[in-house]
Amino acid sequence: MSRLITKHGWTAGLLSILVLLFILTRMIQPEFGASGLDSLSRATLPFAFATAAMAVVVIAGGIDLSVASMMAVAGVTAAVLMDGAGDGMTVVAVIVVLLIGLAMGAINGALIVLTRVPDIVVTLAMLYVWEGVALLILNAPGGAATPWLRQLIVGPFLVPWLPKSFVFLVVCVALIWVPLKRSKLGLSIYAIGSDELAAYRSGVAVGRTRIAAYAVCGLFAALGGLTLTLSTGNGEPIPGPYLMASVSAVVLGGVVLGGGKGAILGPIIAVIILRLVRMDLTLMSVDPNVTTIVEGTIMVVVVMFGGVIAYRGRQK
Amino acid sequence: MKRYMTSAAAAAILATGFAGAAFSGGHASYTIGISNTVQGNGWREEMVCAMKAQALVSGDVASLNIAHRNTDAAGQLEDIRNLIQAGVDAIVLNPSNSEGVNSAIEEAIAAGIVVVAVDQAVTAEGAYILSNNQEEYAYLGAKWLFEELGGEGSVVYMRGAAGAGADNDRDTGFQRALAEFPDIDVVHEVFTGWQQDQGKQQILDYLSTGLPVDGVWTSGIDNVIVDAFIESDVPLVPIVGADNAGFVGQLATVEGFTGAAVTNPGSIGGAGVTLALQILGGDVPESNTVLVDPSIWANNDPEGMALIEAAQNPNLDPEWPVSVMIPGWTTYSMDEIIACKGPGE
Repeated sequence: MSRLITKHGWTAGLLSILVLLFILTRMIQPEFGASGLDSLSRATLPFAFATAAMAVVVIAGGIDLSVASMMAVAGVTAAVLMDGAGDGMTVVAVIVVLLIGLAMGAINGALIVLTRVPDIVVTLAMLYVWEGVALLILNAPGGAATPWLRQLIVGPFLVPWLPKSFVFLVVCVALIWVPLKRSKLGLSIYAIGSDELAAYRSGVAVGRTRIAAYAVCGLFAALGGLTLTLSTGNGEPIPGPYLMASVSAVVLGGVVLGGGKGAILGPIIAVIILRLVRMDLTLMSVDPNVTTIVEGTIMVVVVMFGGVIAYRGRQK
Repeated sequence: MKRYMTSAAAAAILATGFAGAAFSGGHASYTIGISNTVQGNGWREEMVCAMKAQALVSGDVASLNIAHRNTDAAGQLEDIRNLIQAGVDAIVLNPSNSEGVNSAIEEAIAAGIVVVAVDQAVTAEGAYILSNNQEEYAYLGAKWLFEELGGEGSVVYMRGAAGAGADNDRDTGFQRALAEFPDIDVVHEVFTGWQQDQGKQQILDYLSTGLPVDGVWTSGIDNVIVDAFIESDVPLVPIVGADNAGFVGQLATVEGFTGAAVTNPGSIGGAGVTLALQILGGDVPESNTVLVDPSIWANNDPEGMALIEAAQNPNLDPEWPVSVMIPGWTTYSMDEIIACKGPGE
């Protein structure tokens, strides 16, 4: 029970930080409104999918350093397939990209399980492999994104202050995460992350579960890559700054590095917080070289503060 | 607080449909946003310092809002949108690639913001482009090198960053020159990532193999290549670089070294600020695109050597291009760009 409270307490804490940040943003820029929310939400998309990808493997007790490279592969594949494609072909392209994501993740997972080389080493190696693959597909930014698909993440949905891109994020994450978490596989992912030996003794197929977790990671990464192509309108083979950002958001979001604890809601709120901090620093025209120091400091302080609260909670 | 009110007022005026030019007369305090996606590279640092110095000396800029970090096109979209939210009057950016940031540029233009892309072009309609001609940059240097080798020999081709738009344009120029010299053999092609340490390691690795090398073309990671030849005790071959202070110094002082620097002014950033201010002041150029063509300074040519000697400046960081000013476009002094201070700093 106390664990449950701690977990939701963390998410609630993040939410209140987010609300405070929104208030601060309004104070800095009184004009901040629907278009600001739309900008924020669109900036959040690739980071949010990268974070969801990372969260799944971290919950399973692993880590995947190739997230950003897999996003690049998915992004350039989508851009190449969608270049000049009609409606039917666009749908096929999206499905192919998602399948490629699943496959890349499954390959990462299978390599870890079969070779028994530590995940951090395997995925570090795969970071370079997928980066090379992306450059083979496109050696310079190019390709295109189908316009109607791009419109899926532009502008408001039903009411002015609800960005379509946010709805897109919520729907995609919910479609994958909710059924997964409620399934036997979801339970197994938490189990192997929490205590691999205990999971094995309880009859969990550890190897297969690990591969599945990495495959889901690949799927989220593919969605992230797809949103990159949708937002820029072309594919970029050089991986963006999503690896460290996703690890940061996962930690800030209350997922324990080491596995077994956490969920996806917290990390996604954390992503929004980190983007909003970046926006506020730009609005306040803070020296860009100071900006990264501020971002890093916020992370350490929040995680440290959270750790203290969790520790006190346990002592009571 | 005053600044926010000023920007809010500016936004309000823009919202009612006046272009920036409409209030050029009484308005002498613009806010300019800057977006750059490569940090820690000498060329880009000079570009940002040129922007700051030009904004300061122009007297027309109240403050700069700088988004300067290592990121991709999606990150630059975020930065540009944040600058729109900040209510800037103009945005001067070095685009991550020619198409990837168009959507945010179009949003900025729709919000009445003047957008100037420097260094590399963008395809967004309504954006102004002040760009170094990257294809010509590579062509000039490569042609000089191939002629220097008498039209035959083994050349090491040290490119920029794989997948970068400017690298791609330069490759087009390099290949164009190569097509004119069929007996030139590219024996080794690498991406330095525009990183000094990486480029130096790559050439050291190649030199240690003992394979033939008659000339080296570099995409601006140049002085460390000359160092590598000297340190490895390999006879120097003709090397093409950019007009970075360190390399230009070597062209003047290293004995027995023949080489050429192709100009690629990072001060184009300052020129971008000037163009943005001209447009805000109602002085709109006839064409949306202004290309700055490079020139070549070879140290075996008296004219080139004179330029090389005139450009010597020990105060400059070796990674900074020596062409710190662009006549007609920048008005700051050498000290002002080295100080790297913008308005209000």
